[in-house]
Amino acid sequence: MATAGAAGTSGRTYSFKVVLLGEGCVGKTSLVLRYCENKFNDKHITTLQASFLTKKLNITGKRVNLAIWDTAGQERFHALGPIYYRDSNGAILVYDITDEDSFQKVKNWVKELRKMLGNEICLCIVGNKIDLDKDRHVSVEDAESYAESVGAKHYHTSAKLNKGIEELFLDLCKRMMETAQAEERAKGNGASQSASNRRGVQIVDDEPQATPAGGCCSSG
Amino acid sequence: MSQRRGIHVDQSELLCKKGCGFYGNTAWQGLCSKCWREENQREKQRQIQEDWALAERLQREEEEAYASRHQRAQSQPAITPFNKFEERKTKEKSSKVNTVTKFFTPSTKTPPKKDAGAADAQSTPSSSSSASRQPFPDSDRATQEFIDFLKSVKSGREIFKQCRAFTEGMVYKRDMGADELSECVQDFYQSLSDRLHNQFKGSTEHVERVMDEVEKYMMSRLYTEVFCPETTDDEKKDLAVQKRIRDLHWVTIEMLCVPVDEEIPEVSDSVVKAITDIIEMDSKQVPKDKLACITRCSKHIFNAIKVSKKEAASADDFLPTLIYIVLKANPPRLQSNIQYITRFCNPSRLMTGEDGYYFTNLCCAVAFIEKLDGQSLNMSSEEFELYMSGQTSPNWPRPTAAASSAGGAAHTQAHSSLDVLTGLGERQERVVEKARQLESDLIDWTDEVEQKVQSALESFPLDTQSTTTNAAGGTTTTTTAAAAASSAIDSENVENELLPPPLQPQVFAG
Repeated sequence: MATAGAAGTSGRTYSFKVVLLGEGCVGKTSLVLRYCENKFNDKHITTLQASFLTKKLNITGKRVNLAIWDTAGQERFHALGPIYYRDSNGAILVYDITDEDSFQKVKNWVKELRKMLGNEICLCIVGNKIDLDKDRHVSVEDAESYAESVGAKHYHTSAKLNKGIEELFLDLCKRMMETAQAEERAKGNGASQSASNRRGVQIVDDEPQATPAGGCCSSG
Repeated sequence: MSQRRGIHVDQSELLCKKGCGFYGNTAWQGLCSKCWREENQREKQRQIQEDWALAERLQREEEEAYASRHQRAQSQPAITPFNKFEERKTKEKSSKVNTVTKFFTPSTKTPPKKDAGAADAQSTPSSSSSASRQPFPDSDRATQEFIDFLKSVKSGREIFKQCRAFTEGMVYKRDMGADELSECVQDFYQSLSDRLHNQFKGSTEHVERVMDEVEKYMMSRLYTEVFCPETTDDEKKDLAVQKRIRDLHWVTIEMLCVPVDEEIPEVSDSVVKAITDIIEMDSKQVPKDKLACITRCSKHIFNAIKVSKKEAASADDFLPTLIYIVLKANPPRLQSNIQYITRFCNPSRLMTGEDGYYFTNLCCAVAFIEKLDGQSLNMSSEEFELYMSGQTSPNWPRPTAAASSAGGAAHTQAHSSLDVLTGLGERQERVVEKARQLESDLIDWTDEVEQKVQSALESFPLDTQSTTTNAAGGTTTTTTAAAAASSAIDSENVENELLPPPLQPQVFAG
C-alpha cells in the first residue's frame, strides 16, 4: 500500500518519492544539488531551495518522475523521520566516510526503515566525500558488507568531484521500477477482489469498473 | 361487459367528485382539472412543510448537541482569547444547519439553474422560510464554476452527475466517523480518476486538472460537514496546540538555530509574509487552496533563508525556520486543517508533489512543537520547565554590563522623579499661599465697594426720585396725543361716501 503513488495509472509514467536521510553535514543537499542542477557550492544556484527537487528521467523508454525529499538531519529532528519517509519508494542514506558517527546513524535509519516499511522500500547506502579518502574512517569492506547484510546497495560518491552520483540515482530508479512492476503484477492477480471490496462508492451509471484502484492511502 | 358497465355509468359519476359541476377525469382521481390542481397543490405544500419540520428538528438537535458540547468546553479552564474562535465556530454551526435545510428543499433535485430557483420560490410556503433559505455564495459559485469548467470537458455531464450524486449522498453519512468519510471520498477520487484514465482516455495532465476541479467542487460543498467534524477530537487538539504554542512564546531564533537574520529588511518582510500566509490557510475551504497557502508560506521562508545565508536553503535550514514561523503565527485551527487536508485532499498531490513536501514539513513542525523539550532546544530540562511555567524568561537575565547600565538608568530616573516631586510640592505650597492672599483681597474689595456705595447714598439723598416721576408724566401725554390723532384718521373715513365714484374703464371701438 505504501507505494500506491508509484506507478501512474496509465502504466507508462512512473512517479517515485525518494527521501534523503542522514546526519547533518554529510552532504545530502550537495548530493542532490549536484544531481539536479549539476552545481557544487555555487553562488549561482537557480533554485530558491534545495530541499525538494524533481528530476524527469527516461529509462528504457519508460518515463520516470523523481521527487527527491531532503530531510532535516539534526539529531533533534530524528523523531520526525516517519512523517517524511511515509509512502516513499526509495531512501538514500548518506554518511560521511570521514565520520564514523554518521555511519552509525545510517545503521539506525536502516533498522528503523526496515521495521516500518519492510522490503517495499529500496535502500541505498551512500558514502559521500570520497575526495577526502585520506581521512577515511569508515572502511570500504565494513560498509559494503553491512549494506549487503540488510539488502541495501552501497555507493561511493563525491558531490565535489561529481563522482558516482548519476549511477546512484539511475540504479535506484531501475530498482524502484522493478519493485513497482512486481507490485503491479501482484495486484493484477487480485484485481477482481479489490474491485468488489471497495465500499461506499457511488457510481451513477452501470458500466463495469475497468481496472482496480491503486488503493487508498489516506490513513496514517 | 364493458358495454354494460358503460350503460350503467350515471351522469353524476362523470362529474367532478368535488361537486363543482364540471366533468371529472379518472386520471385526476375523478376530479375536474381545476379541483385536481388545487388538491395537488395542497399535497405539495404539505410535503414541503413536512420537510421543513424535519429540517427544523435537525437544527434543534444540532443546537442542543452544540450547547452540551459548549458546556463541556466551558468546564475546562476558560481561555479568553478563544471567544472569537468560539464565535466563528457557532457561525459555522449555523451555516452547517443551513446546508442541511438546503438539501431538503426541492431545488437541489433539479440541477442548479437560475430559473429553477425562481420556480420553486413560488411554492415556498411562508415568507420566513424563504428568507432563511439564503443562497450559499461559496458552494453555489463552486457549482457554477464546476459546470462551466466541465462544459469544455468531454463527458463533462457524466462527471458532474457522479460528483453531485456522491456529494448529496455524503449528507446521509454524517454520522460516520471522519476516517470512514475520508475513505469514501478517497475511494471516489480513485475510481473517478481511474475511469477518466481508462474509459475517457484522458492524459495524465488532463485527468489531474479535472480531478482538481472535482475536488474543488465537492469540498466547497462538503466543507462545513466534514471540516473539524464532531465525531473527532480535532477541536480539542486545536486548543491544545494553540495553548502549547502560546506557552512557548519565549522560544527565540537562537534556540531553534534558525538561519534567518531579521535585521535585514527583506528578510523580516518575508517572515511577515510567511506568517500571513500560514494564518490565511484557515480561511480557505478547498484542500488544494489550503496547500497553496502552505506553499506560499514556504516560498517566503526560502527567500528569507536565501537572503540571510546567500545560498539555497536545505531541509536543515527550512524545518527550523518553519517551526519558528508556526510558533510566531500560532495559526488558527492548525490540527483541524492538517487533518482535513490529510483526509480529503487528492492523494497524488500529497504523496509526491511539491505541495505535499511542504505539507509534510508543516506536519513535522507541529509534531516537533508538540514534543518539544529542553533537550531539543539545547537547554537543561530544569531551565525549560522554568521558562514554561513563566517564572522566568530568557529575555530577563541579560549580560551583566547591559544589566548594570539598565539598573543605573533606572536609578537616575528614580532620582530625577524625586526631584520633580519635591519641586511640585514647593510649587503647590506657593499656589495655596497665593490663593489665601487672593481670598483676603477679595474680602477687602467687597468691603471697600460697600463702603463706597454707602457714602454715595448719603451724599445724594432723594433728588433722583422726583426727576424720574416727571419724565414718566411726559411720556403719558405723548401717547394720548397719538391715540387722538389715530381716531381722527378713522373718523375721516366717514366722509369717503362723499367722494366721486371710481373711474370706469371705457371701451373704444377699433
